[in-house]
Amino acid sequence: MSGEIKAVTLDIQRLSTEDGPGLRTTVFFKGCNLACAWCHNPESIALKKQVQWLETRCIGCRLCLAVCGREALSMDENGIRRDREKCLLCAACAEACPARAQEIKGTEWELAALVREVLKDRAYFGSEGGVTVSGGEALLQIAFVEKFLAALKKQGVHTAVDTAGLLPRSVLERVLPWTDLILLDLKLMDAVAHKKFTGADNGLILRNAEFLAARRREGGPELWIRTPMIPGATDTAANVAAIGRFIGEKLQNAPARWELCAFNNLCADKYRRLDMDWQYAGVPPLREAEMEALYSVARQSGARPDMVRRSGATRTED
Amino acid sequence: MTSHNSALKKPKNLSPRIEWLRNFYYKGVRRRWHNEFMSFSTGAPWDDSFDETQFYTMLEQLRSSELVRAAVNQDATAYVVNVPADFYELSLAERKAWFVREVMVNHMPHDILPGDLLAGGKFNLRTSRCWTKAESERRLAMLEGKNGARARHLEYNLRGFGSCGPTPGHLIPGYEKILLHGFKAQYEYIETLYEALSEDEKNGPQGAQLRAMMTSCTMPRLLAAKYAAVCTQLAGQANTEERRQELLTMAANLEVVPWHGAKTFWQAVMSLWMTHMLVLSDENYAGPGVSFGRLDQYLYPFWKKSLAEGMTPEFGKEILKCFWVHCNTAYDAAIKQGCNQGITAGFGQLFSFSGCGRGGADMTNDFTYVLFDVIDDMSPILEPKPNVRLHRGTPDKVLDRVVSMIAESQGAPFLINFDERSMAGLLRQAKESGVEHLINEDNVFDYASVGCLENTMVGNDRSETVNNNLNLVKAVELTLGSGKDIAEYYDLGANLIPARQDGPDTGDPRNFKTFAEFYRAFETQLKAQIKKSVELYNIGDVLRAEFSPTPYLSVLVKGCAESGRDCTNGGAELSFATIEGVTFATTVDSLLAVKYLVFDKKICTMDELIQALRANWEGYETLQAAAKNRAPKYGQDDDEADELARRVMDCWSSECWQYKTAASGEQFRAGMLSWNYWITYAGILLATPDGRKRGEFLSNAICPTNGADVNGPTANANSVGKVMGGRDPQNGDFEDYLSNLPNGASHTVTFSPAMLRDAEHKAKFKAFLRGYIENGGTALQVNVLDVNMLKEAQENPEEYQNLLVRVTGYNAYFTSIGKELQNEIIARESHNKW
Repeated sequence: MSGEIKAVTLDIQRLSTEDGPGLRTTVFFKGCNLACAWCHNPESIALKKQVQWLETRCIGCRLCLAVCGREALSMDENGIRRDREKCLLCAACAEACPARAQEIKGTEWELAALVREVLKDRAYFGSEGGVTVSGGEALLQIAFVEKFLAALKKQGVHTAVDTAGLLPRSVLERVLPWTDLILLDLKLMDAVAHKKFTGADNGLILRNAEFLAARRREGGPELWIRTPMIPGATDTAANVAAIGRFIGEKLQNAPARWELCAFNNLCADKYRRLDMDWQYAGVPPLREAEMEALYSVARQSGARPDMVRRSGATRTED
Repeated sequence: MTSHNSALKKPKNLSPRIEWLRNFYYKGVRRRWHNEFMSFSTGAPWDDSFDETQFYTMLEQLRSSELVRAAVNQDATAYVVNVPADFYELSLAERKAWFVREVMVNHMPHDILPGDLLAGGKFNLRTSRCWTKAESERRLAMLEGKNGARARHLEYNLRGFGSCGPTPGHLIPGYEKILLHGFKAQYEYIETLYEALSEDEKNGPQGAQLRAMMTSCTMPRLLAAKYAAVCTQLAGQANTEERRQELLTMAANLEVVPWHGAKTFWQAVMSLWMTHMLVLSDENYAGPGVSFGRLDQYLYPFWKKSLAEGMTPEFGKEILKCFWVHCNTAYDAAIKQGCNQGITAGFGQLFSFSGCGRGGADMTNDFTYVLFDVIDDMSPILEPKPNVRLHRGTPDKVLDRVVSMIAESQGAPFLINFDERSMAGLLRQAKESGVEHLINEDNVFDYASVGCLENTMVGNDRSETVNNNLNLVKAVELTLGSGKDIAEYYDLGANLIPARQDGPDTGDPRNFKTFAEFYRAFETQLKAQIKKSVELYNIGDVLRAEFSPTPYLSVLVKGCAESGRDCTNGGAELSFATIEGVTFATTVDSLLAVKYLVFDKKICTMDELIQALRANWEGYETLQAAAKNRAPKYGQDDDEADELARRVMDCWSSECWQYKTAASGEQFRAGMLSWNYWITYAGILLATPDGRKRGEFLSNAICPTNGADVNGPTANANSVGKVMGGRDPQNGDFEDYLSNLPNGASHTVTFSPAMLRDAEHKAKFKAFLRGYIENGGTALQVNVLDVNMLKEAQENPEEYQNLLVRVTGYNAYFTSIGKELQNEIIARESHNKW
């Protein structure tokens, strides 16, 4: 159908256990308006398609080189290189690759097809689980996401929206009627630091947080806050205490959960494949004691202690 | 294969008695006492104590059958049993009944292990098959020579078709009846039937069979008396008063059971064990799937009664744990030949517990939880194999127990069975084979599982679940070769044997214009293959029906007394022969690859594909990569791919219903189980169009090919449910559930331990199981990945493309991340540090 709005997604994660209650299917939408230095999903930042080469799959057949009309690909001792200036993202290489080593990141979906796809696992959702839209920033594709959530809600499916909150109020208003749970990221309370690490001010995000909390108190969607614990950025006691105070005072403890998510560096490969630098590539996960201390700060910060959770792995220390 | 089950689990809550018995068992070959096969002969020069047809489904055994036979018969000469003068004038069934009884009662040692609460130690037997000289000669003439049964079965196997043969076990005898009423009631019932026969019938095979069964009925009584005497004697030497009392009670118990109905829980378990162990003696086979049925249902009344009479639950569990140890001694059969202290996996004495009853009511009771406790305390241990039945009405309490045991055991210490889909298969079977009076809505819920996971009815079903194992993918090969093998195979001496016309000529595939033509030819080959399997199986069926009666087992299978026929000869009310489909996913993926490579994308011609397969893909690596990575695959919840899978399944299952065995009249049916054939046949079968090279593992049972389920466990389960028929509100077999596989299908899924790491995640796992009830197949083995599996995945990434690693906020396929990070994850797994 021409003219229909399509979504650009990065991935669909079935049997998802970390994006809301129960078992869920999480749709990761592509495109983000923040540029967090630690981003774990760099392939989700750009809205447009990307192509990446997976060295572990490559069989060295050179078919990709042969089909590239722009001579954007070359092969050396490190494998296949892509000249991203020359590459037009035509995906001819990905279509030709017999080993799926050249991989397109970014899939277009029509509404009905995506609804059908996520409902394949409806039997596993049970009474708690459902569908989560995540990203990137899923709400940048609001026209699609609004219809998508509405379609699911009409079928009685539990819906969750995972957002960074840097959006006009009107965008949030559009999804609230179709949403059971908002997963909101609060990263840094200090405005300067927030700007430095994410590229954006946090004023709008915090005002949206207050708005969502107010709506929650009036019977709106449940609210969970998530804070990534990033070494040298968000992992200070002062930051955690400030977010907790904000949750206690400004959000009036409306959220049901506040989760501290420990940093991990498992995505280093993703950056390399996209020829992107990542300043956290060599940064180890937090020590267990550090994480435990932050958790303790959070529980005494003014946020209701029973809402505080911690997740993720800490450094292996023998 | 590395076993990933129960890697870390340790037994717990064991009393000194049970700890000693369990440790003693695991000493294996270092034990002085064992239950190794003992062979007994009549001493006649032609006498034979080995029936090779029992092993026609096991190539390794078949290869050396002459050697084994010689060894067995050599052993047997050491134990000659004097037979009565008129022995060879009796019918074969009577000779067999007499001989087995004589050996068990008067020749086998009757040992009680220290502290043991149950009698019945040595039972692994190879008795004289009791043939007369003429029978023996006639039988050998049918077995030997170029066109004899042996050569034909071997050739069939070596040319890649699979295997077939009349395999013992794999049924659930009517144990409950014995527990309730004893063998005495069976004896009297058979006697009444016998008295009602005409003189002609009494003098014919019917009379002979009933006389044999009456002889068999007395075996447990005589054996129990022997063991009672041993107990009494040991009581006199007991070191403690407590042990003396135990032995005296055991002696008293054996005066009652199994001849009479059990009055206490202890007697019931004693009766069950002795009745069961004698089936293995009677069949001369060590525990291949002779299963117990719904243990928590029929033992519960005894449990309740004994608790009311003062038995403590702890002592009741102690009795059960002794039963657990006894079940494991079946493995001693070939203890000196086996590896791992002679303790090998391969048989399955299953029991079912929990599950639904009439109208979907949940049948879980207090004793169900006792069984959970005992499983948890005893595991890891091989036998008996628990099979927990789940259904829509399963209480959360059961699921909580199931999930926490999976989490603690690094893999489920039980198989999970799913009632709705299972019952759908059995009801379809009733319709297809015209036995709706025997299997229907009023009794189907009392089904249980045997062997690995095969669903059957209880006490009247000579179910025969693994006696035909057909490599479906051979039909793809024959389609590519116009009915000829596309390359040479090897004989036992590793000599090439030329390709030949092994199937119908379905035309040169190089001239096919469409995939539809190819698929039609494939179905023709598949049907011809089923016919071939049926014809070969008939040879073994005739041999068994004529030469290998099991009169004792027949006492325990309803229909045999009534018809006067042995259960090896169609006597049971229900008699089935299953053709297990081996290589299902490899077959479907091969068809999908032909469609994709040759017809849809035209990446190669049919001729190039055939050349590539002949070359075992060597020199065709790019094409092979496309076959592996680009062609659609079954198991990803891809509706198009799964639709082809379902067509193959439908053709397969509906064709199998067309046949019955010649001698015993067993109804053929389709199964989906591949035991270890997906590994052992990997080296026989040539390269396949899905990109697999000769020697690489085939697909297992109904599972997707290794590494194909890249969309995770839910997608995998959905695909399985779809090929079994899915759901149809208008036309279901059970409610709206459909199933084309009466026995069910074996499905294994592997999870990351992170999935079960805390209470919240365990609740999520419960949701997965509830979803599987709705969407999945009949039986699920849950594995939890461990460090060894990760290391294997690092070495063989192609086999593990589906291995998902989950860390909060991050999921990745293990094989797609760099080695350093893989090592980090391995380090974390070894320390359980998520």
